[in-house]
Amino acid sequence: MLKDLGTPAKGLVRSAGLPREIRRRRTILVLVILASFTLIVLDARRSAGSPVEPLRHAAAAVFGPLESGASSARQPVDNLRDRFAEVDRLKAENEKLTADNEKLISDLRTTDYARNRAAELDRLLKVAPKYTVTPARVIGMGSAQSFNHTVTIDAGTADGVRADMTVLNGDGLVGRVVRTTEATATVLLIGDRNSTVGGRLNSTMALGFVSGRGEVGSSATLDYKLVDLKARPKVGDRIVTWGSSGNAPYVPGVPIGEVTTVTAVQGALGSTAQVKPFVDPSRIDLVGVVTGPPARAPRTTVPPGTGR
Amino acid sequence: MPAIRIVLAALFLMLAVTVQTSVLPHFAVAGVGCDLVMIVVVALALSRGAEWGAIAGFLGGLMLDVVPPADHTAGRWALALALSGYVAGLVRRETSAAPVGPLVVALTVVLGAALSLTVYSATGSLLHDPAVDWSEFGVRLGIAAGYDVVAAIVVIPLVMWVMGRVVPARERRRVLP
Repeated sequence: MLKDLGTPAKGLVRSAGLPREIRRRRTILVLVILASFTLIVLDARRSAGSPVEPLRHAAAAVFGPLESGASSARQPVDNLRDRFAEVDRLKAENEKLTADNEKLISDLRTTDYARNRAAELDRLLKVAPKYTVTPARVIGMGSAQSFNHTVTIDAGTADGVRADMTVLNGDGLVGRVVRTTEATATVLLIGDRNSTVGGRLNSTMALGFVSGRGEVGSSATLDYKLVDLKARPKVGDRIVTWGSSGNAPYVPGVPIGEVTTVTAVQGALGSTAQVKPFVDPSRIDLVGVVTGPPARAPRTTVPPGTGR
Repeated sequence: MPAIRIVLAALFLMLAVTVQTSVLPHFAVAGVGCDLVMIVVVALALSRGAEWGAIAGFLGGLMLDVVPPADHTAGRWALALALSGYVAGLVRRETSAAPVGPLVVALTVVLGAALSLTVYSATGSLLHDPAVDWSEFGVRLGIAAGYDVVAAIVVIPLVMWVMGRVVPARERRRVLP
């Protein structure tokens, strides 16, 4: 700095920082901060329809394909890593066994519920609803330091995906769609602290609510509170969604997780349980969005074997 | 010349946003990813000064706010990164025309990470966003800052080198006597 002042060159005097330049710098800082606050205030009242929404659509239109491309570019890296890890033969065998295992586990997880439900449905309409599922790939993820448990998927309104649709994968419930654009959709994961899902205990059919705790990693858990204060969940009980009216945002019968610990609420009736979700949020890749209604409305008396 | 610099800076920011949202989550440590956009903003601020830092931070943060899977109130990252960029630009002024040393760069990145995450979380708290969890904040900030420094070793020299290449001759004489 001292050396700068000693030399009479015009440029150097400017770089030393005239008040005018400092003023300009501060003006820009103030302008930028004001712009940020304006955005926050404009976007904060979501109910009235945020004016930032078109901006989000534009951003998704530009960055959706970019994210999709970047995810594809990741594939060769993954493949190379796999090659180091295991021989192709082992991989194929492993895939087959994993698929078998997944099927068996999902059978096991839903068997109690399916039996209970099947008995009910048998009386009502003699058929279990089947949904149309649109497959999609995860192309973007929120990071833990932003406290957002959201992902982007590469299916949007063009594929029939709309807000408030259930997202699941082979293991169980992933979350629900909160926002869509032409080619992408944002999914709120069940681990987010903003997320609450109605959950039914498989064994007793008792109703409750599963809410996210904002935890990350494969050891993340969810909270489970029962509606019926006298009902007690047991460790090892499995929880499935009980479904919302009109199947939005959650369709019934999707496995959520397994009860790991039960704690009595101090000074009140009832108990809360911790639930380990079947879906590891950090490892989701291919997911399905429930886009279609059941093959037939669940409460009409149609004979089985027809439709779709 | 300024036009080329602006285009380059915009390209860097867009690339950073794309990579941060789609590729980096797969390399996350305990769920915490690398704040690549913040690092690029710091690099731009270190090579061009506080005005550039503030504007680049605002635009980069704005992209993070609206590019999916963002689901928070827009403007939070914009504010956080604008402040980080401005402060990083001030660091460059303090060290005058001399090239910024690696230790100062690392400290600037840690400062930027701390400032941006604090501002982001604080605005979330003010808006009653239930997702913000202060009990987890310290751990995540620590991991993020460490990760950012590691990534900055590669990213910041690259960005500063590219931005340095397009400095006009008049200005190059001034910075490098």
